[in-house]
Amino acid sequence: MKRFLLIIVSIAMIVSLTACGGSTNQGNSGSSDTENKVVINFFHRWPNEPRNTYFNEIISEFEELNPHVKINVDRVLNDPYKEKIRVLIASEDLPHIFTSWSDSFAENIVSSGKVKDVNYLFEDDKEWASNIMKSQLRAFTFDNKVYGVPFTIDGKAFFYNKDIFLEHGIEVPKTFEDFIGSLEKLKNEGYETPLIEGLSDAWAISHYMGTIFQRVLDPEILDKDYNPQTGEFTHPDYITALNAFKTLTDYMGDVATAIDHETARNMFANGEVPVMYMQFAEIKMVEDIGNVSLGFFDFPPFEEGKGNPTALTGAPEGFMLGKNAPKEAEEFLKFIVSKENAYKFTKVTGQLTAVEGAVTPSSASNHSLEAYDIILKASQTVPWFDNAVNISIADAFMRGGQSMAIGEMTAEDVLKRVQEEAATLRK
Amino acid sequence: MKKVTKTMEPYLFMLPCFLMLFIFIFLPLIQNFINSFYDFNAFSPTRTFVGFDNFRILLRDKVIVTALTNNIRYAIISVIFQVFVGLILAAILEDNIFRKVAPFFRVVYFMPVVISISVICLLFSFIYHPQIGLLNNFLKLIGLGSLAKPWLGLSSSAPYAVIAVSQWQSIGYIMILFIVAMQKIPKELYEAAEIDGASKLRQFFSVTIPQVREMIFVTTLITITGSMLVFNEPYILTKGGGPGTSSITMAVHMYQSGFFRDRMGYASALAIIIFAITAILAVIQLQLFKSGKED
Amino acid sequence: MLKIKNKRSYKNKLGAGGSILFIILVIYAIIILYPLFWMVMSSMKSYGEIYNSVWNLPEKWLFTNYLEAWDKGISNYFINSVIVTVSTITGVLIIGSLCAYALSRYKSRGINIALIACMTGMMVNPQVALIPLYLLLQKLGIHNTRLALILPYIALRLPLSVLLIRSYFLGIPKEIEESARMDGCSSFGIYSRIFMPMSKPILFTTVVLTAFYAWNEFLFAIIFIDSDRLKTIPSGLMNFRDALQTEWGVLLAGMVISALPMIILLMVLQKHLVRGMSEGSIKG
Repeated sequence: MKRFLLIIVSIAMIVSLTACGGSTNQGNSGSSDTENKVVINFFHRWPNEPRNTYFNEIISEFEELNPHVKINVDRVLNDPYKEKIRVLIASEDLPHIFTSWSDSFAENIVSSGKVKDVNYLFEDDKEWASNIMKSQLRAFTFDNKVYGVPFTIDGKAFFYNKDIFLEHGIEVPKTFEDFIGSLEKLKNEGYETPLIEGLSDAWAISHYMGTIFQRVLDPEILDKDYNPQTGEFTHPDYITALNAFKTLTDYMGDVATAIDHETARNMFANGEVPVMYMQFAEIKMVEDIGNVSLGFFDFPPFEEGKGNPTALTGAPEGFMLGKNAPKEAEEFLKFIVSKENAYKFTKVTGQLTAVEGAVTPSSASNHSLEAYDIILKASQTVPWFDNAVNISIADAFMRGGQSMAIGEMTAEDVLKRVQEEAATLRK
Repeated sequence: MKKVTKTMEPYLFMLPCFLMLFIFIFLPLIQNFINSFYDFNAFSPTRTFVGFDNFRILLRDKVIVTALTNNIRYAIISVIFQVFVGLILAAILEDNIFRKVAPFFRVVYFMPVVISISVICLLFSFIYHPQIGLLNNFLKLIGLGSLAKPWLGLSSSAPYAVIAVSQWQSIGYIMILFIVAMQKIPKELYEAAEIDGASKLRQFFSVTIPQVREMIFVTTLITITGSMLVFNEPYILTKGGGPGTSSITMAVHMYQSGFFRDRMGYASALAIIIFAITAILAVIQLQLFKSGKED
Repeated sequence: MLKIKNKRSYKNKLGAGGSILFIILVIYAIIILYPLFWMVMSSMKSYGEIYNSVWNLPEKWLFTNYLEAWDKGISNYFINSVIVTVSTITGVLIIGSLCAYALSRYKSRGINIALIACMTGMMVNPQVALIPLYLLLQKLGIHNTRLALILPYIALRLPLSVLLIRSYFLGIPKEIEESARMDGCSSFGIYSRIFMPMSKPILFTTVVLTAFYAWNEFLFAIIFIDSDRLKTIPSGLMNFRDALQTEWGVLLAGMVISALPMIILLMVLQKHLVRGMSEGSIKG
């Protein structure tokens, strides 16, 4: 019997040994160099280069300046980030500082009651606050309180290959109908897929849908439908809009549903495909791969469209603080969103920021400056669709979009599914 | 005193095992049943009791039909390829004439089993890649270029492309289980059969199969149950069952409902469906094979 | 060369049927090996070369891809996977064999119930337990630690392992046990000195199956661990792919590094694993 107990004890020991190994990574206890240090848990959504390295450098810089601080960083890309941050918010170990999209995504997170209202940051440090574009704060303001500090700004536009357009005598289209004509022409001139997108990435579909809805539908209807409490999605214009999306996917060919956005971008950057709908944040990635002569045009308006024809899809992203964030996390946030570091960020990643004076000819390429101008001049900005509506609605549209692209569903089928989801939400 | 320990003895041996099973398997299982009657999400700590609402939604959910169809496709194809082919491969490799080369083939066939599923899925995303794709290139090479297609991008091919990856990985696993079983077969049985003039094929049916009956039961159980639980392959290869929902499985649907669409209660109801199906299958199989040696 | 030689010497013995079987074996081996071979070759290519010449060997062998992959995070995932896998195996072997011993050597209604409970346990799958387990791990305060993987892994592996080991234990002749008992061996002594050593083959099988499981497990790994630092290979590779974008060569190198130890382990263990069984204590 004694030996039997011994076995049990040794199991317990194995288990507790590994337990120690795990918990040191939790933070405050355990290994010697984390003793007496303030630990900040930082969660961002850029595991990809060059941004990952950029943030790692910022972290070690901050740790050097503040030797009593230890920053634990974690990073996950896009779609998984959305899932993960939801889960973390539900749990008690909400990160101290984390990235967030704006508008309804942010609103959802704020509604958990676990995010700090950061008005005081702007009031306490006027000098720092003066560098942040006021126009971008709105997207993080709920009930007149600011819950996030905007960092990056972005917009979505059609990137086109100027050389190819020139060669075939194609003009930048003025309307959606023009655009279809141009695509048709390109197709006839030998570009089997004149337009491309990685439709296996659900978010890429949602970006299309968001813009098309904005252009086609009456803004009042959208306001009502995007609100989960009142959303119905019954207006016939949705069918028009979904069919417009279907028309576009017809120019993308069979491969579109089999590839991701990145593969599609490579095809564009290598000059294989003349047009692609992309974010300005991707300019540098395109520039780094190929040598295409890059031009932009905004999503063309529909002849019958009821929405603002010059609104730009694209929203800021920023940082939020968890309720339990220590003072040091605030300082770290201000450190990231400082003029100096924002300048560096633009220089390294090519991405534009909401910090005044960070985007200059010395930090950004000509293409990026052109994009910066478009963003600042936009008559209205429209949030990303997957952030603007409830995730179930977005999911029904995104999956439906894939099914439409492969001819499995019609616009009517998709809308019916969306209406079912909306009905469930209204309850 | 001694007598008490005597009767307690087996339970002491089993204690750590059942402690683990209770805390990490049975308790969550019970909890899951309770959760399915609530509506809750990851955002808020509030839970609303909704009775059978979640189950009512199940009946209307069309994705379940697609998911179940895919799970059944998985099961049928997996039993054919894994149990059937696995058994035959094992029998061939266990035959005396292949004694010298068998170890080599055994290792090769078992190799995919030990490779991490994400490595395999990433590797197959290169194989199915519409541009560099090895598969399409190979088809062109042997003059079947017309068959080339974006495998993961069409609803007609995506489910099968995903299932094929599982077969590639798992045949060796089932095969090795059969080999283990076959090596326990007394050699005298084969010798006796040989003396009776039974052919190799005859020996396979009259000696090997009856002797590995229990293993056939175990492997069929493993494969079918496994087919009802498939998650990794569609999650990675077709980004959660795309295009549309064409390659979705029950497990992926459950995961997305719970962790993506914030319907934990509904996800729990889906989990119960998965559990019920696997449990029913197990009972049916127990009846069919009447295997277990327990009295 | 070796293969051809083998083939020739076999041909006479094999006969027509045997030759066909042999060719089938070879074709299936190629189906398994070629993708792996391609992975290794391409892991030493540049992006452009993978993209443009799929079939060729690398023009310039970029071994640096491996260094880059190791530095960019694989080393970390690798160590986590080793820790989690070894702990899981240890737990399953000890706890599982103890339970299997009781189930195979004792008879009572309680034992029967326990056996059924065990089989039921096998039916319960990770998916069903996922959400409650997630909540439970948080309550226990071990969410986002390695224990959050190890404990559920052990629990989920136990039922199958117990049943496998038990069916092997059942084959051990009663006489051996009885004679040991006459020599004054306790139940635990019989377990540790007779059953365990006699059952090495099935224990090895259990080790391999458990290792395969713990090394591959994906669902729990992506949900129960948030920190990149604690991620195991399956979930870590997803991050790794997202991070690398177009550096396919480095990604493939990372994949090779992830797969290699298990393949080596298999080659080392295989002798014990299969052929060793008939040389074990149970003959006939």
